[in-house]
Amino acid sequence: MAKLNDILSPFTAWKHVVREPVTIKDPLNREAADRYRGFHKNDISECIGCGTCESICQNAAIDLVPVDGVETKDGDSGLRPRVDYGRCCWCGLCVDVCTTNSLSLSNEYTWVDEDPDNFRFVPGAENKSWDSREKGYKKPGNGYELYNPKREAMEELEPEKRDQSFIEIVQGYSKEQAEQEADRCVECGICVATCPAHMGIPEYIKAIRNDDLNEGLRVLYDTNPLPEICGRICTHKCETVCSVGHHGDPLSIRWLKRYIADQNPAEEYKKILNTENLQPTGKKVAIIGSGPSGLSAAHYLALMGYQCTIYEKLPAAGGMMRFGIPEYRLPYDQLDKDINYILSLGVEIKYNVTIGKDITLEELHNQYDAVFSGTGLHMGRSTRVPGTDHPKVYQAVDLLRDIVLGKEIPLEENIVVIGGGNVAMDITRSLARLQKQKYGKVGVLATSLESEDIMPADREEVIEAREENAVIDPGWGPVEIETEGDKVKGLHVVKCLSVFDENRRFAPKFDEEQKKFFPADMVVESIGQGMDLSYLPEAFKEQLDMDQRGRILVNDDFQTSAGWLFAGGDIIQGPDVIHGIANGHKAAMGIDKYLSEK
Amino acid sequence: MQTIIENLQKHFQVVSYHQQRENLGFLIASKEVAVGLITHLRDYEGFAHLVLLTAVDWIEDEHFQLTYLLHHPEKKVDLGVRVMISRENAEMYSIHHLWEQARTYQRELREMFGINFPGSPDVDKPFILEGWEEIPPYRRDFDTKEYSEKTYFPRPGRETHDPAEYMKKKLYPNE
Repeated sequence: MAKLNDILSPFTAWKHVVREPVTIKDPLNREAADRYRGFHKNDISECIGCGTCESICQNAAIDLVPVDGVETKDGDSGLRPRVDYGRCCWCGLCVDVCTTNSLSLSNEYTWVDEDPDNFRFVPGAENKSWDSREKGYKKPGNGYELYNPKREAMEELEPEKRDQSFIEIVQGYSKEQAEQEADRCVECGICVATCPAHMGIPEYIKAIRNDDLNEGLRVLYDTNPLPEICGRICTHKCETVCSVGHHGDPLSIRWLKRYIADQNPAEEYKKILNTENLQPTGKKVAIIGSGPSGLSAAHYLALMGYQCTIYEKLPAAGGMMRFGIPEYRLPYDQLDKDINYILSLGVEIKYNVTIGKDITLEELHNQYDAVFSGTGLHMGRSTRVPGTDHPKVYQAVDLLRDIVLGKEIPLEENIVVIGGGNVAMDITRSLARLQKQKYGKVGVLATSLESEDIMPADREEVIEAREENAVIDPGWGPVEIETEGDKVKGLHVVKCLSVFDENRRFAPKFDEEQKKFFPADMVVESIGQGMDLSYLPEAFKEQLDMDQRGRILVNDDFQTSAGWLFAGGDIIQGPDVIHGIANGHKAAMGIDKYLSEK
Repeated sequence: MQTIIENLQKHFQVVSYHQQRENLGFLIASKEVAVGLITHLRDYEGFAHLVLLTAVDWIEDEHFQLTYLLHHPEKKVDLGVRVMISRENAEMYSIHHLWEQARTYQRELREMFGINFPGSPDVDKPFILEGWEEIPPYRRDFDTKEYSEKTYFPRPGRETHDPAEYMKKKLYPNE
């Protein structure tokens, strides 16, 4: 019976030919409901081309394409979504997941066009009649987010418990916290370009989500051999461009990196990273300075089989990471974990050796196939206001170094620090701790040219310094340090109105009428550091390509015009740890190229 | 609403009740008591109208959640009855004898979620999908993207870019 029906039904359908059609043209041209999901709109000035709309689309209806007039830059891929309406099912997931809230759906649902290719376009970049419509579907508000906009909170030692000691403040994430935090990542990869080392950030966060921390460590070491360190004190520029940060807290990328490094035991590193059997090339490289760039260069050179010897002026390795950054931010055992692993690859460090004094650069050149210099910025700059030559006016970097070396440093009850950067906060908070230990109270004030909103120090440094009872009074320009014989009386300042001119050049403007006096028994200057290149012999320096400001010029491989000499770190770029790491890595590859071609 | 629930609890075991708004609440009942409870709501409490019957796939918890949304025309309140049923051999008692239109909802749920309602008229007849051979498409383990890539050919001229790769090409091609 069913079969007969199958044969007859095509014929019976013919009877409908003469019937009035059920469908008619919409005579009223009615507008759809207020929240109807129609054609896409995109505010392309808000959109950053993160591609989460493309990733979530279950119909593969979205492509990310370059758009005229949209530039690729930090935090913006320069791409914009193009929708293929042959596939779109109007579900609106792309709107729900949009990190910048730029994407929405208008309530326009009728559009007639003869050319099917017109139904594939870039919303916002190609003008459409519904672009100005207010009605339609927008990302629902609170409670309907597809990812958590709130960052997993980090446990910190309370101010009362930390202000007398140098124990680490930030406690680190637990497994649950790290996985929760990692779960917020949308894997767009916008952050990768901004990281100076271009770390595989989405990949290592994914490894946390998959609870595969060995894989996480491998991803870290691909581009960064100091993850315990960077996981604590990196300037984390990546977080400033995080797409999730546009409407919520950015991912805690730095703490997630720390979590991976913390969870992998040091004794298993070589096995996990497959560095137990390295093939030696028989070639030797000398490295000057054991800071981030030198260690990074040594690490990647060692992996390629080069015998590396680091020459270090001080009795311990790490450069500014050890002698500049206080222990409460970067504990020595964590610093040593990273450094000891690099040493375990066969890298040797010669301590207490000053180039130009104990051994000359020429001797290094003769004994090694190539030389890398990463000597950093260790000479404190002075404001040069009257009174700075007084013996009770000190440089922050010198004091920080002496604290680490275990020397007793001069410590008065009332101290003024001049400077608003991270080093200024480091010395302020270190002095506050020492004062608390010695005098039972804190009497340190930091002042900077920059007003609070443009202080170069990390925001949390300023907040935490205040929690530890240091006074931060920004926006003042130093005029004179008042002295009386062998005593310092204090610092005279005037109001600083602006620091930079319209061309972003340093040109501070002051209101001489607004004055202030900060009483103090000692003053510490912390307005930046300069380099000491005295280890380069004068005759050699004259041959070397340098810029007008006395900086060594290097090519993309961080190679100087001398060929055999490479340079990186703060003397070239930065100043910060992550640029040093990136420079060291590139220089290592440059040295390999240079020695392979030689 | 509160009195209705209190009355209900005298006769039926209600697992939990949640008042979402003044005129909307949801209760959870077990599979075994649900049909009796819904009948009671219709015949004795005045919830004369079945607004909808729908499902959610809680794949992690290995069950489907059925929601019967009932409307009380006089009191102008809605009550949702939620029933959790096992995902494996998913089956629920039919309510087509209470509301004629329930058969359509049940046919849809049969097709989209694979939930069976034995005795419901035409429940096995295709509803909107033609010649469907995959697992029911509203089940969360149905891979929509894979299906659409397999089924719908890509239109010529389509190309896409990975943001991170594209930024590398544009901003730091030599690193």
